[in-house]
Amino acid sequence: MQLDAKIPGGPLAGKWDRYRFELKLVSPANKRKFKIIVVGTGLAGGSASASLAELGYNVKTFCIQDSPRRAHSIAAQGGINAAKNYTNEGDSIWRLFYDTVKGGDFRAREANVYRLAQVSNNIIDQCVAQGIPFARDYGGLLANRSFGGSQVQRTFYARGQTGQQLLLGAYSALMRQVGAGKVEMFPRREMLDIVVINGQARGIVVRNLITGKIETHASDAVVLCTGGYGNVFFLSTNAMSSNVTAAFRAYKKGACFANPCFTQIHPTCIPVHGSYQSKLTLMSESLRNDGRVWVPKNPGDKRFPRQIPESERDYYLENKYPSFGNLVPRDVASRNSKEQCDMGKGVGETGLAVYLDFEDAIKRHGRDVIEKKYGNLFQMYEKITAQNPYETPMMIYPAVHYAMGGLWVDYNLMSSIDGLFVLGEANFSDHGANRLGASALMQGLADGYFVLPYTIGGYLAGTSLEKITAGHPAFRESVEIVNNSIEKLLSINGKRTVDDFHRQLGHIMWDYCGMSRNDEGLKKGRKLIQQLGEEFWENVLVPGSDKDFNQSLERAGRVADFLEFAELLIIDALARKESCGAHFNEAYQTKENEAMRDDKNFCHVSAWEFAGKNKEPVFHKEELKFENVELSQRSYK
Amino acid sequence: MNWLAGTLGSSIGKKLMMALTGLGFCGFLAGHLAGNLTIYWGKNAFNSYAEHLHSLGPLITLAELGLLFFALIHILTGTTLFYQNLKARPFRYSVNKNAGGRTIGSRTMPYTGFILLSFIVLHLINFHFVDKTGTTIYQIVHGAFANPGYVAIYVFAMIVAAIHISHGFWSVFQTLGANHVKYMPFIKGVSIVFSLIVALGFGFLPVYLAYMV
Amino acid sequence: MTKTINLTLKIWRQKGPEAKGKLETYKANDIPTDMSFLEMIDVVNEKLTLEGKEPVAFDHDCREGICGMCGTVVNGRPHGSEKGTTLCQLHMRHFSDNDTIVIEPWRSRAFPIIKDLVVDRSALDKIIQAGGFISVNTGNAQDANAIPIPQETAELAMDAAACIGCGACVAACPNASAMLFLSAKVSQLALLPQGKPEAARRAVSMVREMDRLGFGNCSNETECEAECPKEISITNIARLNREFYKAGFFSSEK
Repeated sequence: MQLDAKIPGGPLAGKWDRYRFELKLVSPANKRKFKIIVVGTGLAGGSASASLAELGYNVKTFCIQDSPRRAHSIAAQGGINAAKNYTNEGDSIWRLFYDTVKGGDFRAREANVYRLAQVSNNIIDQCVAQGIPFARDYGGLLANRSFGGSQVQRTFYARGQTGQQLLLGAYSALMRQVGAGKVEMFPRREMLDIVVINGQARGIVVRNLITGKIETHASDAVVLCTGGYGNVFFLSTNAMSSNVTAAFRAYKKGACFANPCFTQIHPTCIPVHGSYQSKLTLMSESLRNDGRVWVPKNPGDKRFPRQIPESERDYYLENKYPSFGNLVPRDVASRNSKEQCDMGKGVGETGLAVYLDFEDAIKRHGRDVIEKKYGNLFQMYEKITAQNPYETPMMIYPAVHYAMGGLWVDYNLMSSIDGLFVLGEANFSDHGANRLGASALMQGLADGYFVLPYTIGGYLAGTSLEKITAGHPAFRESVEIVNNSIEKLLSINGKRTVDDFHRQLGHIMWDYCGMSRNDEGLKKGRKLIQQLGEEFWENVLVPGSDKDFNQSLERAGRVADFLEFAELLIIDALARKESCGAHFNEAYQTKENEAMRDDKNFCHVSAWEFAGKNKEPVFHKEELKFENVELSQRSYK
Repeated sequence: MNWLAGTLGSSIGKKLMMALTGLGFCGFLAGHLAGNLTIYWGKNAFNSYAEHLHSLGPLITLAELGLLFFALIHILTGTTLFYQNLKARPFRYSVNKNAGGRTIGSRTMPYTGFILLSFIVLHLINFHFVDKTGTTIYQIVHGAFANPGYVAIYVFAMIVAAIHISHGFWSVFQTLGANHVKYMPFIKGVSIVFSLIVALGFGFLPVYLAYMV
Repeated sequence: MTKTINLTLKIWRQKGPEAKGKLETYKANDIPTDMSFLEMIDVVNEKLTLEGKEPVAFDHDCREGICGMCGTVVNGRPHGSEKGTTLCQLHMRHFSDNDTIVIEPWRSRAFPIIKDLVVDRSALDKIIQAGGFISVNTGNAQDANAIPIPQETAELAMDAAACIGCGACVAACPNASAMLFLSAKVSQLALLPQGKPEAARRAVSMVREMDRLGFGNCSNETECEAECPKEISITNIARLNREFYKAGFFSSEK
């Protein structure tokens, strides 16, 4: 397989415009002859479904939750970036592009990122027109705030619920099309296989989660918007149903998986506090606008935080990175928290936490201002921890949050399977080795509103598609595979529950493939995962039947895929013999313990092709060419 | 007129009809009470008030028909709502608790409504559809309240009316869309005061007539 | 060390939409009070699974109070008795040792039960389909700052837009009415200049759809407002009423 990113030539700023002109078009009258399947209804899937239907395509949209409004994009808190420069701070498309490439530690495609920065402004326009109540200043114009990795205020926000508001905007556009009959909506469906005929993605197999029925749906193209794989770590900020299954089954059908080892660990989450815990809760990065991160200077200082005098506190981010201070990118902030805790300076019962303190901000601006900005976040913190962050500093610790890696896609967002498009967090393309805050929402909506609607037309207009129905033998084959696997899971009848396996997998991943990695640990982790995978298929206990609403069975299928995927993630981490962004291999660091890239040997995307069960995946390399930015040691000092 | 049926037949339309007719009854009660208070000035004042009222002739008939019309709407719509709302939750909770939104008034609205309907029928039989030849309205009223049973029924009915009004009055404003954070506490206050006035104003009359005159 | 408590749970079990359900009693012992309510059910389910029984089906997803997927009636209160809290954010520290907790699904004709505590809330999506949107195709928009919107208006719209569509208002309403849910959407869009062109049509068709779906009628009981995990105010219902009258009596909407 030869990976071709299909990046248009010419100067960076004109690539997308010219490419759009060169793309073949489907005439309005012909659009209704095409059927497109969209899987997932987050920002990417919701916006893509609505936009495609508006254009006239027939869309079938699937989601795993009971309503498309519940996709996990809804939980994004802080905001969405755009290069509007409303604040007159010298922001521009170029600066947003540059910050994103640099923030991603130079492991993203220039052309994709530039396009992202270009359409960022259209996104804000579209969202305001949809009635999204962004925060405004007294003059009635849009307000902005700062986020990590940037020195301009370019983040638009709706309190601490920006993701919710943007998602509900896309959802309402989708609902409008459902009402108009252009989108057929299938909630509570889980995609279990993708059907490839003559090398083209032509449909999917799903399980109806209520009745257990296996359903087949044929189409002319398939769009996967199924989010990230952070739950491979069991504990993450992802929703309980976030999983890798759809992406992984596509991988097994020939779509390459790119850079799976780039997994973002978010610095500001509520620390783990018990072995029963089912998920971690993020505290928005926007809190770092006003909160100051510190630990006691002396290891083991167990005094109450307010009793520790200023002179005995170490504001380590401000001290180490004077120009960005508390607003360094996430990977840098997370690694520094870990470093402090490893030195024994961690706080709280477990010693695995640092303080995020609002005392100064409250003194400076008053409690009211802070409450208006972060009220709902403070309230959420108090609900979970029973501590009042207005009075005592928050305790935070890094947690798995976002997957920069994902299915490999070209400039058209098409994977290595023709007709299979991958959008949003599920693809790999825009964030490199580390995503900047408030950029995930931007990318999801850019892909769905402003990229796919053009590129999918180019594909459909330029491809000959055989007429097929869901009666095609390839569908029957897929259904059989899916049924066999479900039967197998139900028949093992072992002694350990699905969650038990998942939790153990998470521990292995966190211990050996977490914030800081080394070859020895990765190898050990891989072995442990293989053993766990074997035990899973002999000893898992899945109650109930397949003809029914069976949440244990749903989870079993997902954990089975996580177990296989975890190995791929480790293989990727082992292959990348450098440190960059979220991937920190202890063998490659500067004297100051910063990540040390190896641009000579690793300035590439690692794309993995499935070679068969229990076989090493095939490695493909997409060289990254930087023609417009200079590769430099990332510095936030 | 399709649009009118569509608008009034919707759930909000039905609310609107309940609110407007309810508000009409509140106005009627206020007038009725003002008239009744003349009783404290003695039987002549009361009788002359009644005569004045009857001298209005066709106007009073019109008002009566209006009230009847309002009553029919209020009763029929209320009954429909009661039935529909019961149907909307066919299977009830085994534990019922409330979060402090419901009041005794809101909780009992349909039931107090039906009690008041029965009371009004009785009230009309007592004082309206009664042979008034050779007697004064004061004598009829005084006669009726010589019976302690009647006194008890009337006092009870007025307490029920107050409960009904305590929810109904502020509810009218909410339904009409007049809810503003600045004024709602005041409206809710008026609601309580008005229901107390009705309870005391009307409720004390039978007691006064029976035991204090 | 965290405190632990022992609980008796009475959980509604129902095999399917047509099946007859009943409350079953389970023990949940040594529950740390730092645990969330859903994690407590997880623990019970793990135990049931290992005993060879079927675990309790319940909806949940983000577990941080925003997706609106979770929600059951706990001791007669949707999402439990803490104010402004979804079930996933309710922590066991609000319960005492030896408490008995009755857990039931949302009950409404418009929300048929799928299994145990899981209900079908697609009726809420249908209400949105009837008009809970602004008709702006992708690419149609003008510059985001072209129309200034007073901060107060944007904040009011945001208050309404905070709705997570969990259905607790329906579950809490003595009449199983969806007025608070509906009014939150109508309010948000009616407040904003972008929503004005379609305001009349939106109000009329969304109310019609709600009535058609078998929800009850609002009778201003205000239980919805008291139980809403996002504390959405009934002033939105008043605004919906105004919008509906405007549309019904003063526009050409039928």
